[in-house]
Amino acid sequence: MNITLILLIIVPLVTAFLIPFVDVFSNKARKILVAFSTLLEFSIGIFVIISNYSSITNNSFFLKYYLGNWIPPIGITLSMDMLSLFFSTLISFSLLFIVIYSIGFIGHHEGKYYVLLFLIWAAMHGIVLTGDIFNLDVFLELMLITSAPLVAFKRDRNGTEAAIKYMFYGTIGGLFVFIGVVLVYFNLGTLNFADIAQNFNSLNIFSKKLISVFFLLGIFIKMGVFPFHFWLSKAHSACPSSISALLSGVIVKVYIYVFIRLFWNVFGYNILQQTGLNKIIFVVALISTVMGHIMALNENDVKRMLAYSTIANLGMIIAVLVINTKLALLAGLLHVLSHLLMKVSLFTTTGYILQFTPGHKLEDLKGVAYKNVLIFTGFTIVAGGMIGLPPMIGFASKWYILKAFIKSGYNWGSVITIGGSIFAFVYYIRYIISGFKKLSLGPPERFRLILSVFYRERVVTDIAFIFVIAVIVVGVFYKVALGPLEGAINVIQNPSLYIEGILGG
Amino acid sequence: MINNFVFVVLFLLGFYAILVKKNLIKMVIGLNIMEGSIFFWFITLTDRGKMIPIVNGTQVASQLNDPVPQALILTGIVIGASTSAFLLTLIIELDKFTSSTNPDQIGGMIED
Repeated sequence: MNITLILLIIVPLVTAFLIPFVDVFSNKARKILVAFSTLLEFSIGIFVIISNYSSITNNSFFLKYYLGNWIPPIGITLSMDMLSLFFSTLISFSLLFIVIYSIGFIGHHEGKYYVLLFLIWAAMHGIVLTGDIFNLDVFLELMLITSAPLVAFKRDRNGTEAAIKYMFYGTIGGLFVFIGVVLVYFNLGTLNFADIAQNFNSLNIFSKKLISVFFLLGIFIKMGVFPFHFWLSKAHSACPSSISALLSGVIVKVYIYVFIRLFWNVFGYNILQQTGLNKIIFVVALISTVMGHIMALNENDVKRMLAYSTIANLGMIIAVLVINTKLALLAGLLHVLSHLLMKVSLFTTTGYILQFTPGHKLEDLKGVAYKNVLIFTGFTIVAGGMIGLPPMIGFASKWYILKAFIKSGYNWGSVITIGGSIFAFVYYIRYIISGFKKLSLGPPERFRLILSVFYRERVVTDIAFIFVIAVIVVGVFYKVALGPLEGAINVIQNPSLYIEGILGG
Repeated sequence: MINNFVFVVLFLLGFYAILVKKNLIKMVIGLNIMEGSIFFWFITLTDRGKMIPIVNGTQVASQLNDPVPQALILTGIVIGASTSAFLLTLIIELDKFTSSTNPDQIGGMIED
């Protein structure tokens, strides 16, 4: 029993419900509340790491909390092992900086904005910590319905269209997950992850296949993998840049967590192998990578280009995870970390740059490099990371992915990885060149702040720089991250550890 | 057996509405039909034909229906209601910009 786990969910939840009341009295009080809760939530995450440091280093880290003191398999169990800790740390770290970025970036309706942001935070921690399959479904829906208003946050036509699409796809994905939950409950009479994992092999092959297919469909629709990617580029580009960073960088990774947890720990990887689904997932994910890169190449809008690049990288992560060797899992998790850092920093820098341009198109970016030298250098550096150039984290993760593909004989995967890097080089260099183009007859007011809101620039640029520096520093010292990742892989590969952890004692 | 059949028919009916109908509100109705079909299916699937699960201390567990599906479906209904409410709000918002509820003006559902 560990009370900190429930606090990780409750603190953002309570903050979200307090903000409207505080907002009535004064703006300043709301700001203090937001800053306080953000720091509190972040420090709870740090506290979990520090207080359990010895068990983290010797791979025996496991925390759990029984909600309402119901002993599993009856009640809802919250649990945290190395895999959850990895994702929870990523969420806390990026959300801390995204909230601070928003303080300078969002100039209107801030009260509503932070309510939704904290609800998303609570939902993400809920997904990462929960040990109950229906609870997972509820948190997935909560994450969907709180992120959709933020997609439409600008209240323009584009954002509304994107949010409608996002809601339709997300809800249908949620329905497939719910059908999966129904089938699990009907066949096994339990909702607890560990209990399902224990009894799942006793089912006949047809039910196993049906359950896996429904959960896969649900997760892939919500994630935006190739045949269901139609909502993604719009939703990830129509919102304010801070939310783009959140959607494209963090929320997508939470779905990766759900995918790993369900198909390695709960249902077991054997089920994918028995039914041949792993081959199908592998092919679909690689097609998703190729399509993402091609569509990014076709795109003339910088934010949509970044969104398509997310589809491509997502496909690569899934393809490499589904190989299921130790090296492949390591590569997948490392790319989760690297893509999160790079995409968030790309969107934060782009968000700043786009304040000075008349639009999001390629031509609109002309000459921004001369106006915002430092921030555009940051953009260039991180774009280099996305391509896979050495000092950045992107190099390390792409190198591991390449190694994993070659070692396990999936040569097509390695060809697509290298080809993807070349594609990425082409579509990033277009924007960088455009940024360095001299303006022939630029009117001086071209660079005035286009939006009526005056942004407090300092915070925005500082956070963007923090992410750019993180990309470089983690890229240089990425070997430090390999230790915790080994622990996470240990959890992924041994479902019995998870079952023991929840049901035993 | 009949409940599985009805579930599949209703689910596909809702899905058909989302794919074919040229009115966003009708598509939301289709979404609701899909949701409703799953709830209906779940409640009939787990029904043992026994007493309603209101425990007053005199029954034993084997005399009662399983209360868990009902709790899950109640949660599901709440989620569905909030989802459709929010979708309808967005459609009103879109109507302000375009004065129509045709999904083609947002590029259809399978076009990015």
